[in-house]
Amino acid sequence: MAEPRKPKTPQNEADPKLGDLSNRLKDLSDRIAAERTDQAAARQPSNRYDSAKDYSKGYRLASEFVAGVLVGGLLGYGLDYLVGTLPLFLILFLLLGFGAGILNMSRAANRSQPTAEELRKMTPPSADDEEED
Amino acid sequence: MANDPIHQFQIHDLTGSFNLGGYEISFTNSALFMGAIVAVITGFFWLASRKAELVPGRVQSVGEMWYGMIDNMVNNVLGHDGKKFFPLVFSLFSFVLVANMLGMFPYFFTVTSHVIVTASLALFVILLVVVVGIYKHGLGWFKLFVPSGVPLAILPFISLIEIISFLSRPISLGLRLFGNMLAGHIVLKVFAGFVVSLGTLGGLGILGAIAPLAMAVALTALEFLVAFLQAFVFAILTCVYLNDALHTHH
Repeated sequence: MAEPRKPKTPQNEADPKLGDLSNRLKDLSDRIAAERTDQAAARQPSNRYDSAKDYSKGYRLASEFVAGVLVGGLLGYGLDYLVGTLPLFLILFLLLGFGAGILNMSRAANRSQPTAEELRKMTPPSADDEEED
Repeated sequence: MANDPIHQFQIHDLTGSFNLGGYEISFTNSALFMGAIVAVITGFFWLASRKAELVPGRVQSVGEMWYGMIDNMVNNVLGHDGKKFFPLVFSLFSFVLVANMLGMFPYFFTVTSHVIVTASLALFVILLVVVVGIYKHGLGWFKLFVPSGVPLAILPFISLIEIISFLSRPISLGLRLFGNMLAGHIVLKVFAGFVVSLGTLGGLGILGAIAPLAMAVALTALEFLVAFLQAFVFAILTCVYLNDALHTHH
């Protein structure tokens, strides 16, 4: 760091004490920055939500997938029941339902971003949980 | 009633049934609790808005928080022209939330633990989505099932998958709420049952009962969380599906 600064502050390298000072300054500002990020992380109230968010997200994705397969299977079985070709449409629509489940899941995963953001923005619901009963 | 975890979900007649056009009409405990839910919501918001003060009291600020949360959600997801769906989303959220919360009282009946109730709510939402979509976009709304930019060769498959995906929405919406409530209450009951049956053994049994008791306490906390979360998810998915109907982008 001494090279480019040479013309501006020539005494910087001449005095070893001042060089040490700038190191200490850098060290201090690093520590302040670390402390700030720590404080910012501690101040966020959303920590309490994190497990709940993950729980609901996982459950949502699972149920989207299951619903897709279920509807596909039911549609296939219904078609078979009407036409009388039992395993044919059931197998076909189960596979299609599998695809629909994957589609549902990927959509739900893409969609859940604003939801998480919303949870953070919102006032903690603990107050109305306790009082409204 | 002691140890049967399913017993709490039984529906029984309270007043005696009568026939109406070949259908059996009866006032059950489920109907009683649905009435209680509506009474609790109405009573609470009557209390909250009775004397509207500039500096809100406790009840008023809870009511404002409740209202503000749904208002925020509708604004964020549906945008400005979704304002007219606010009463619907608010009612749905309040009904599901209070139903779940009332279900947390011992000996109370959980309305949302019956699939017929949650499925009715979900079907109502999806039918509304279809009606709003067709009302807004005419028959062009059905382009939702024919995504653009797909090669003609695989278009039939994609359409079928899209249709199945759409049809699976009410299932996942209703089944999720039902499954969460049912499973939570059964698990809670089973662990509470362990405490009783271990406790009656005496001595070492009482010592051993501490573990399921701690589990039951933790599960109760989790159930409160799930009760709120499921109501929230139901409301936000209603918004998301309505948004699909309002602003079709395919």
